[in-house]
Amino acid sequence: MAEFVITSRAPTNNGTGLNVEARSSTIATSTLEAKEIQEVGASSIDQALSGRLSGVDVGTTTGDPGAGMSIRIHGTASINGSANPLIVVDGMPYETQIPSDFNFGTADEQGYAQLLNIAPTDIKDITVLKDAASTAVWGSRAANGVLIINTKRGSIGKPTITYNLKASLSRQPSAIPLLNGDQYSTLIPEMKMNADGLPLDITANKEFAYDPNDPLNYYNYSRNSDWIGAITQLGYSMDHNVSMQGGGEKARYYASVGYLNQKGTTVGTGLDRITAKINLDYNVSDRIRFKTDITYTHVANDFNYTGSVRSVAYNKMPNMSIYRYDEYGNLTPNYFSPAQNIQGSYLGLDSKGNITGTNNTVNPVAMANVGINHQLGERITPKFQLQYSLIPNSVLTATFDVQFDINNSKTQTFLPQLATGRPTNEVSVNRATDSDGDALNIQTKANLIFIPKLKEGHAFQALLSFQSNDTRNISHNVATTNTASDILQDPSNPSRTQNSDLKLTSGSSQYRSMGALISGQYGYLDRYLINVGLRADGNSRFGPSNRYGLFPSISTRWRVSGEPFMKNVKFLDELSFRASYGHSGNVPGKDYTFYNYYSPYNYSYLGMSGVYPSNMELSNLKWETLIGKNIGFNLGIFKNRVRMDAEAYLNTTRDMFYDKLQVPTFTGFGTVSMNVGTMDNSGWEISLNTIPLKTKNWTVGFDFNISKNINTLRSISEFYPSTKGNITTNGVYQTYLQIGNPFGSYYGFKYTGVYKDADATIARDAAGNQIIGPNGQIIQMRFNYPATDYQFKPGDAMYEDINHDGNIDYKDVVYLGNGIPKFTGGFGPSITFKNNLKLSAFFNYRWGYQLINGTKMSTTNMYSFNNQSTAVLSRWRNPGDVTDMPRALYRSGYNWLGSDRYVEDASFVRLRSVTLRYNFTPEFLKKINMKTASFYITAENLFTWTKYTGQDPDVSSRGDNDPLSYNVDNSMTPPGKTVLIGITVGF
Amino acid sequence: MIQKIKYLTLLAFTVMLTTSCNKWLELKPEDGIIRQNFWKTKEDVKSAVIGCYSSLLGPMAQTLFIWGEIRGDMVSSTITSTSEQIDIMNGNITSSNTITKWGTIYQTINYCNTVIDFAPQVLVTDKTLTEVDLNAYLAEAHALRGLMYFYLLRTFGEVPLQIKSTSSDNQLEQLAKSSQEDVYNQIIKDLTFAEANAVTTYNNHDYDKGRITRYTVNAIQADVYLWMEKYAECIDACTKVIGSGQFGLIAGKNPDGIVNSQWFNTVFYNGNSNESIFEFQFDSQQVNPFFSFLINTTKQFVGSSFVMDEMYTVDPLDDTNKDIRGDLSSIRGSDGLIWKFAGANNTGSVRTATSSYAHWFVYRYSDILLMKAEALAWTGKGQEALDLVKVIRNRANALPATEKAPDPISSVDVSDYIMEERAREFAFEGKRWYDILRNSKRNKYAHIQFLIDIVTKSAPSNRQQYILNKYKDIRSHYLPINLYELQTDKNLVQNPFYQ
Repeated sequence: MAEFVITSRAPTNNGTGLNVEARSSTIATSTLEAKEIQEVGASSIDQALSGRLSGVDVGTTTGDPGAGMSIRIHGTASINGSANPLIVVDGMPYETQIPSDFNFGTADEQGYAQLLNIAPTDIKDITVLKDAASTAVWGSRAANGVLIINTKRGSIGKPTITYNLKASLSRQPSAIPLLNGDQYSTLIPEMKMNADGLPLDITANKEFAYDPNDPLNYYNYSRNSDWIGAITQLGYSMDHNVSMQGGGEKARYYASVGYLNQKGTTVGTGLDRITAKINLDYNVSDRIRFKTDITYTHVANDFNYTGSVRSVAYNKMPNMSIYRYDEYGNLTPNYFSPAQNIQGSYLGLDSKGNITGTNNTVNPVAMANVGINHQLGERITPKFQLQYSLIPNSVLTATFDVQFDINNSKTQTFLPQLATGRPTNEVSVNRATDSDGDALNIQTKANLIFIPKLKEGHAFQALLSFQSNDTRNISHNVATTNTASDILQDPSNPSRTQNSDLKLTSGSSQYRSMGALISGQYGYLDRYLINVGLRADGNSRFGPSNRYGLFPSISTRWRVSGEPFMKNVKFLDELSFRASYGHSGNVPGKDYTFYNYYSPYNYSYLGMSGVYPSNMELSNLKWETLIGKNIGFNLGIFKNRVRMDAEAYLNTTRDMFYDKLQVPTFTGFGTVSMNVGTMDNSGWEISLNTIPLKTKNWTVGFDFNISKNINTLRSISEFYPSTKGNITTNGVYQTYLQIGNPFGSYYGFKYTGVYKDADATIARDAAGNQIIGPNGQIIQMRFNYPATDYQFKPGDAMYEDINHDGNIDYKDVVYLGNGIPKFTGGFGPSITFKNNLKLSAFFNYRWGYQLINGTKMSTTNMYSFNNQSTAVLSRWRNPGDVTDMPRALYRSGYNWLGSDRYVEDASFVRLRSVTLRYNFTPEFLKKINMKTASFYITAENLFTWTKYTGQDPDVSSRGDNDPLSYNVDNSMTPPGKTVLIGITVGF
Repeated sequence: MIQKIKYLTLLAFTVMLTTSCNKWLELKPEDGIIRQNFWKTKEDVKSAVIGCYSSLLGPMAQTLFIWGEIRGDMVSSTITSTSEQIDIMNGNITSSNTITKWGTIYQTINYCNTVIDFAPQVLVTDKTLTEVDLNAYLAEAHALRGLMYFYLLRTFGEVPLQIKSTSSDNQLEQLAKSSQEDVYNQIIKDLTFAEANAVTTYNNHDYDKGRITRYTVNAIQADVYLWMEKYAECIDACTKVIGSGQFGLIAGKNPDGIVNSQWFNTVFYNGNSNESIFEFQFDSQQVNPFFSFLINTTKQFVGSSFVMDEMYTVDPLDDTNKDIRGDLSSIRGSDGLIWKFAGANNTGSVRTATSSYAHWFVYRYSDILLMKAEALAWTGKGQEALDLVKVIRNRANALPATEKAPDPISSVDVSDYIMEERAREFAFEGKRWYDILRNSKRNKYAHIQFLIDIVTKSAPSNRQQYILNKYKDIRSHYLPINLYELQTDKNLVQNPFYQ
């Protein structure tokens, strides 16, 4: 029987099948071992990745359990929203896309998290492929980078049972202070009076009358309600995981089962997850081996009925009661949901079932408590691999993989009458929806690996691989209303179906791709290494003329430290230079776009059904191609106690997709998908791993990474808008499309305070003299003359009149900042004592960028009837008041134009996590007959050092990578603080 | 040997894979019909034509209401009006205002273009489709396209003329604006084809009101000619409709002198009455966009107080003696609710969200009579014009307070009087602004004062001077081209006033 030689050196794996030792790897990768992330209180691996790997940026959508994350490798090289990387689990691509017509009830991106539900404890390592040469082998889906995840497998030995427990508590930090009911009731009439000179009509707006003779309004509108407090709870999570592994010569196994239970900090949010996994390896003979992996995930996730519960609570009038008082002043247990009040009236639901309007009168406490938005996911992924050794001793090996991925998602929502308090005949009452999305994905991979025995000094391996992918999505959505009772929460109950708001829709789509890859690596004398690959891809999302793409790659490594002339440099363990070049591609997000198709209307005209051309045939759409160039070096000195990896890269995306390219509407269409231009995504990164101190008892480690990434447009379609933002509108900044300049700059006015009295509003020239009109009249400072022609009044915000013409308009707009950090990264020390006590910390930072404090803008604008922060207590009220807070003006004036008032330097360093871990000594473990035992405690988000006055400076450029967008921080609270306790025991 | 077989199998496998590859990657959608499979039978042609009409039941009626009414004097804003609507009413019209988007109109134009481009090929595949039938379908598409361009012509002045369908990204063009003359000529060309080929009846009463017949084409022609000051052609087109004998006014009073209590129900609530020529056919499965826009507490517009006080007036002595078009017909006098779309009957019930399916009235027979009257007035036949106005007034029981006796010889006076009658007759039907503009732009803006008086009267006091100055510049009477269109089409030039 032949033995398989297990090399002591760690291989890196680009997922395709070639096994190249890490030290001979010609590509840019970084790898995270499982033990580095297992102490983090993350329920999903994407959360755990955050900040740990250089060049990988993970952004959160919301803090709610199960909420999605977006992963960006080396920034984004596309201006389309879909920039998530390809995930490869155990050598097979792992679908993270959802059918586009599937209704998730709330944000679509949340679906992403559902799809990444691999228990962190099952993961052996995660490797990020960063340069195009490494991703080229994955061809058409790899332009956004590739994340390779390997799960644990069994090893020869007695069965080992390991139990992991992670328990955490998280608390929503207190929000910025908001006005209480009394302060709010003072502000609103003043705001109205300032706007049109008429006092607030308290006979029409009885909520401000405070009239004891009108008891109902008096009791219900004389409160100091804490809306935020009422929807906030202490979050917790419990994560149990039991795994068993072991095996013999013939068969090996790894099996695990995990259960996660999590409750979010917003009332009504939570997550339940069960994961199970079996990885089996069976050696039939020395030539034939089987692998069978089966993974099952069950997810039950509770969200708020609308994503906006928290923002409604922030805006809600504080003098209003949460629960209804009766006319005798008794508090009833019913939620107080008036049909309308000064904040607006209930406007119904939009097509996605969200409450429309920003000034809605929905009671957020009712909504959080009784609104139901339940998402269920069942995913089972069996995978089989047959490995056959055509020529023994690994010279020629064939492997065949097939993976079935059955992924069923369901979203159920129910909006009981209690949540909105609406009359029972309206469509928002007892509204039940049910959406099913079923995806079946079949992937195959056939590999031929050739590793000839060559003469000493030569090493060669080659791979020929065929891959196919067939995905079929089916979805059904149904929405009905007015079920007979709020206990009947499923649309299967007899209920009203006839209304244009309600729906019964289904959709299906199919997507196929296939690829062939030939790749080889040759090494000479272990010093000169070269890797060449060529992949051909065919994809069903393209029309016949553009269906196939070719993706070549070449990468090299020169190990300088292996050269004879370096022999004398004793302290040097490793010095290599790498250079790589490669293509990878991207396919459009939608199926069938190259057909012009006709869809029927969902209503008839005079009883006859009509059809209309619902899209434009996209016959010109071709592959988006990313051409990556990367150079890097690896350095290891002092017995690898100091290791440094550095990369510099330039990725050029050609024929960039843009889904929403605006076309003139005289075509009958508004937007169209097209290849619009070329963009450069460039940057560099350095990661440093050091062990400054290593004695018998003490080991001190220090890791550091730093990176910079910028995007620059090289060319773009002339249809692409060249500016964005109407600077004459409150709250908007101006951005310009600048070919050749990095993204992220924005422009606006300079804020200089508040006009303290009438004299201050007179226009003055550069010398400070009053500007006199042609008839000798005094000229007032104006805004946007002649189009708007607003004359500034005392108490209004004052903007710098750059050109001293007495008119604040686009000519006074100046550069205000750039939201792209100069550097980002992380660092973390770790101290280990006697191998059993370990203290580690992890910090992340961003440096050199200006953020727009959106929270400050929305909580101090005094423009609508939304509640405001206590900062507005210092507002201008009477002539002569000297303050920097303008007067309150209801829906008028220009007090919160995009200006430097809200722009702040947001550089920060945050202590992301601190962990103290104790491993029991082997002697002790022997006594109690255990293999391993350790416990740890982790605290997250303990402290942030920053000059930024807003809530969270760590706003990543998430989602849509629009060249005209700018980063805004709209967080109302700092990130949640979490304390986690974990126990690991092994038998 | 074994080695060889192995390699051969592998080679065969590879070849097989690549040839079957292309077929395997060829996927077609399951929930739609692709063009290659469409346009085969006459049923396909019919459903594509019906699709053109179906597109009218989207947001278009709201756009037409806004374009046709809010710069006029008959509607007022409410607290839920959007700031963009207020801006237009205050004369603060900019190209970033989304009300200036013309996409919904062009969408329907594209559907018409698609029919016109592709329907003729069905003659080859479906032998049961006759040339006459095909032309009748094409006539509907041509007429609808003409009508859509006529709205654009009146709203924007010069617009890009797109008369080819866009079905592929190969066809994307950068069109320049066409002159008013060219747009007008295209409209006339479309209507001429339609008149020659449209059916006179579909042998179904509702179809005749909801689809385009030859009389619908004549009605559009009359309107277009009147706009272009071609009075003889206008009278000619009106006469064709009148002479058909297919239409008549629904009497406001029974022969015994008692008010026809069913008048509102017949003409407006149910629609498709004998006096209707063309209406957008909203129904219970596709309601109009007006519930939240004009009816609910969220309504963005109400009729202005002047409508009841001065336009219809009330009889101070006998409140049963009233203009049947006034209170609880066009408007609810008590609060200005736009009853034409909001009313469920003439006694005070309001439509609900599910019953908000009042039709959008494009042409009614009374329009033909008043258009003819206007054309007569400007061809020296003032008395004939006044007689026609009389017919309209009598059937509606217009009150004496609104009666005037202009000198039949003065075209301007007669025409001003017709305008007043048109305001009463077509209140809130999206015609007011176009009427005002037509009446003042006539003869090279000889009568601009008419427009100035109306817009300043309805302007808020602090904006009057501003609006007065603005509207004196006749170029401001057309809306600007939306910024979005200028960004996406480099050949488009902004309308002069907004440059």
